[in-house]
Amino acid sequence: MTSKKVILSGSFGVGKTSLFNKFIHNKFSDKYLTTIGVKVNKKVINVDGTELPLLIWDIAGEVSQNKVPNSYFLGASSVIYVFDLTRPQTYKNLQTDLDYLKDLLPGGVIKVVGNKKDLMTPEAIEEVKASLPLPVDIVTSAKTGENVEELFQQLGRDLISV
Amino acid sequence: MENTRTKTAKSEEALLEELRDILLREDRQSLSEVEAYITNPERFSKRVLPIIEEQLEFFKKHFPDEYRKVVDRQIEARLSTFKDDMIGHLSPVMGKMIRKYVAHQFQILKEKIDNTVKSTFTFNSVKRKVKSTFSGVDERELLLVELDNTVIEEAYVIQRDSGLLLGKASREETLDQDVIAGMLTAIKAFVEDAFKRESEDLEMIQYGTYKIFIQDYHSYYIAIALQGSLSASEKEKIMTLSLNFAERELRTLNKFTEETIKHISSKLHKYFIQKK
Ligand SMILES: Nc1nc2c(ncn2[C@@H]2O[C@H](COP(=O)(O)OP(=O)(O)OP(=O)(O)O)[C@@H](O)[C@H]2O)c(=O)[nH]1
Ligand SMILES: [Mg+2]
Repeated sequence: MTSKKVILSGSFGVGKTSLFNKFIHNKFSDKYLTTIGVKVNKKVINVDGTELPLLIWDIAGEVSQNKVPNSYFLGASSVIYVFDLTRPQTYKNLQTDLDYLKDLLPGGVIKVVGNKKDLMTPEAIEEVKASLPLPVDIVTSAKTGENVEELFQQLGRDLISV
Repeated sequence: MENTRTKTAKSEEALLEELRDILLREDRQSLSEVEAYITNPERFSKRVLPIIEEQLEFFKKHFPDEYRKVVDRQIEARLSTFKDDMIGHLSPVMGKMIRKYVAHQFQILKEKIDNTVKSTFTFNSVKRKVKSTFSGVDERELLLVELDNTVIEEAYVIQRDSGLLLGKASREETLDQDVIAGMLTAIKAFVEDAFKRESEDLEMIQYGTYKIFIQDYHSYYIAIALQGSLSASEKEKIMTLSLNFAERELRTLNKFTEETIKHISSKLHKYFIQKK
């Protein structure tokens, strides 16, 4: 398989870099170092016996997606849209952001991810999910690593079947 | 009644004339002096000659400087109008690449002209002459060595939009080249976005003596990483090489698979890395 470009996007401080670091280096830090510009890294995943190299672009968070330079999304196969389960302002633009991304990448795989699962009770998480206009694909914790591997596996499967 | 009025008018005129005379006397005087100078050639030249001579003396002393400034300015002006003309004719037909190429050619031309204007007196050329008489090497050969101060470290073909690698070759094993290609594309996108210059693409990224030279094509770009100094003529060499590469090796490729990536990579190695 040739490499696929995957974008990590969403508001600032939601845990994009943390998910990226957890997935690639299996590391987590409590420190918040905001991303400037873009960081690119690579990980080859194995999806049901197929090697799939992912080039993951961890980009600086923006309050709304139309603030992200368009060129970052060019040629991407997928966008992982991350929000912070504990901060409503990070998912208040969910609908408009997703409409925008779908427009930008027709046919692209878009994943909606609620992060910082470890900070919430299962009930509170259900409440947040119910309040949203769109289904959430997966809830993760970059801190504990819960569902991080699973997120990329799901993504890989979707990418191969496209 | 009539008479008195004309009388007053007349005397008013006289008064005015007197007033003018008082106010403008000095000016009128110097004006007539100047008139006298100009109408009398002998007096005129006596007065002006020293000034001319002084200027001439100054000019003799500073002649090379002054001369060069004027010539440089003229060459530059001439080149730039000619360049614009030429680009104007060419660009609708052949597009941005030619435009850049022509602009680049003129840059080299200008560099060459600058060098010939300067070279007679530059320390380096004297040094070169001395060196060549002592070591017995042809002067031209030394010049060639000077041009070869660059080593190509890496060569990439990168998909323009996605930043994904379509081919790679390097002198030594490097970090993940896919990541470098991605970062390069991200930097490129960032810079091009930040300066909103759609017609111009980022051409070079430089850290110290390490340079990444970028050439954009339709759906991909070629990036060449170099170590060392790079003059315009060397840049031109590399550009020609990359143009040739694109034309011969990439033109017929429109699908990119693992096989084509391998193929492009080995060709990249042949063109850019392998010692001739
Ligand atoms: N408890 C907890 N904290 C997290 C989690 N993910 C990230 N954080 C913390 O949230 C803060 C921000 O995380 P980052 O990964 O830097 O956020 P980001 O989305 O990359 O932010 P920008 O680069 O500014 O857009 C950091 O202090 C992280 O330690 C998580 O799953 N659980
Ligand atoms: Mg970040």
